[in-house]
Amino acid sequence: MLTAVTPPAPPRGRRRFAFAPALLALLAASASVGLTASDALERRYTIAFANLTDEPGVTLEGTGFTGREVRDSFVLAARLLPVDLVLYDNRRDPRTALANAADAIRRKVDLYIQYHHDATTNAEVGVRLHAANIPVLAITFPVPDAPLYTADNRAAGRIAGEALGEFGARAWRNQPLLAIIVGNVGARDDRVPERVQGAVDGLKRQHPAIRVVTVDSQGNPARVGELIGRLVASQPGKKLLIAALDDASALAAKSALEAAGRLSDGAIVSHGADRSIHGGVSERKEIDPSNRGSIVIGSVAFYLDRYGYDVLPLAVRMLRGEPIPPRTVTRHKLITAADVFVEYPPYDMN
Amino acid sequence: MRFTCSLAAAFLVFASTSVALAQSDCSKIVPPSPWGPNDQTGATNRITPAVTKAAAAEIQEGQVVPMSYPLTDGIPLFGTRFTKSILTATSLAPGAAFGENQLTYMEDTWLSQSHVGTHLDGLGHIGRKDCYFNQIPMGKFINQNNMTKLGLEHIKTFATRGVLVDMVKVFKAAGKFKGNSACKRECLDKGTVITGADIQAGLKMYNVTLREGDVLILHTGWGNLFEQFPAQNATYNSGEPGIGKDAAHWLVGQKIVAVGADTWAVEVIPGEDPKEAFIVHNILITDAGIHILENVRTDLMAAEADRTRRATFFFGMTVPKAVGLTGNFVGIEGIR
Repeated sequence: MLTAVTPPAPPRGRRRFAFAPALLALLAASASVGLTASDALERRYTIAFANLTDEPGVTLEGTGFTGREVRDSFVLAARLLPVDLVLYDNRRDPRTALANAADAIRRKVDLYIQYHHDATTNAEVGVRLHAANIPVLAITFPVPDAPLYTADNRAAGRIAGEALGEFGARAWRNQPLLAIIVGNVGARDDRVPERVQGAVDGLKRQHPAIRVVTVDSQGNPARVGELIGRLVASQPGKKLLIAALDDASALAAKSALEAAGRLSDGAIVSHGADRSIHGGVSERKEIDPSNRGSIVIGSVAFYLDRYGYDVLPLAVRMLRGEPIPPRTVTRHKLITAADVFVEYPPYDMN
Repeated sequence: MRFTCSLAAAFLVFASTSVALAQSDCSKIVPPSPWGPNDQTGATNRITPAVTKAAAAEIQEGQVVPMSYPLTDGIPLFGTRFTKSILTATSLAPGAAFGENQLTYMEDTWLSQSHVGTHLDGLGHIGRKDCYFNQIPMGKFINQNNMTKLGLEHIKTFATRGVLVDMVKVFKAAGKFKGNSACKRECLDKGTVITGADIQAGLKMYNVTLREGDVLILHTGWGNLFEQFPAQNATYNSGEPGIGKDAAHWLVGQKIVAVGADTWAVEVIPGEDPKEAFIVHNILITDAGIHILENVRTDLMAAEADRTRRATFFFGMTVPKAVGLTGNFVGIEGIR
């Protein structure tokens, strides 16, 4: 499927007052993707993006984001770049992934972005594209010799752990604390164990001796309620610092504390910041400016819905012959009720 | 005792003001109005008698083209927004008529938010922090019921020239048209960014240049989803084609008074930068005092323009002198 996008023309005719900031913003934006004054004359690039899966409802990387959201982010980001996208769905299937690469070679695309979980397939895709002289950029799962864009699970976990640790030190000084890490703790393909380790590291910065209990939902958030309910019942009098490994687990953990009458004993920080935990002005989800008293302090953003905005500029830089780092990581950030509408501006109020 | 009460009251007022209305230095956030520090009228200052007289030359056949959608239950609205009328018809009951002439009457109670249906965004609708058009620190000028500055009562009557640009034609001609299957007539898909160059291409199609004081109306076709209400309300609200920042800056330079479209926000949604909120609204309303007209019915005028090869018309719009309101539903007619 081909998607045509048009690069914006440079701004003109703006009042002098507003022109200066607009120019500065333009320069800053240009700098971020290495644009130059000759961009208007720059050729357009055909870039293929082979998504891990487009299957509706299937979530990726141990978060609540779907492949469709990743794909849409590429389509939206391409609007601002001299890029025509060719979109593929790898369907989590090695044979499909190889067929997609073959099709891209036939089309003579300028660059191939591979998002596929199977290392053997990725190696083969890398060899074939290299032979066709098509550069590759990999997402999350490495392709040999190709630059990689990836979430930094360990850093994200550390942000969550530190936020919980600081909350515990501030709100529950000298009270018995228990740290709980809940979610699909063993999901190696999604690098969740790195997230767990980061959360432990972060918690121990403030509380070196804190006891950390892991609660494995085995990928089924519906189990979180029962597991957390049982655990908190065995821990009367303890204050609970809960690092949820995804947003669904965070919401389930909160419900479990509520059911146990222990809301005032818990604080939760989540990972992902997907649309299940924050929303628009009228959606009133858990992380919301009007819900600042929630025990869900925040969620560490993974921005899968913005991958395209990060990855496509890297691809354009590669095509221009500019150097890019071998590994670029997502800039994770804790999103709370105080800044959720800054980070994810709602558009259901106009 | 009275003194103490007064002091307490004064303190309370001071305290509540300072808490609720944290002030920004608006001179650093919003540009001044070109019409002076007391200006609350904004771009409609440009509708001078000469502009209206010149616009009157567009009336050549006396044909009136409706450019508003019906305002009724079931149209697309956002979140908790509502519009609801209640009919008082008690005198129609047997024996309730008045006098020998048996007079009966009916009237309505209209419970509605102002930004519903075909509507105008006033200058008090959009700001940066607490700073609004002409550097007005709006926190000082609001009460529980309305604004005490920048209300609709300050804007001038819209009797000027309208110019329609058919963006569907522009994108098709440029070979970059991408539609949406939910539209029963051709429409640009949501997320389609309209640039200044696109608008200029559309003007060129009808050999028109914008004049100071014009109202620009963009036909994207997306309004067809509004026409299908309520069936396509969710799709209509899920995004829209619209102008991006480049087009907004270009339009500011053209010194128009308003830009409207057959969409719910005029600007492209999702926006160009996912971390910006309705930035085109800021550029047009907050910075330049240029009004935005949303949910404008454009298909009839687009058809007329296509049929006659003329895309200009006399733009008449009724805006109530609603004191202190941030916007209101309007009736728009294009007269040719």
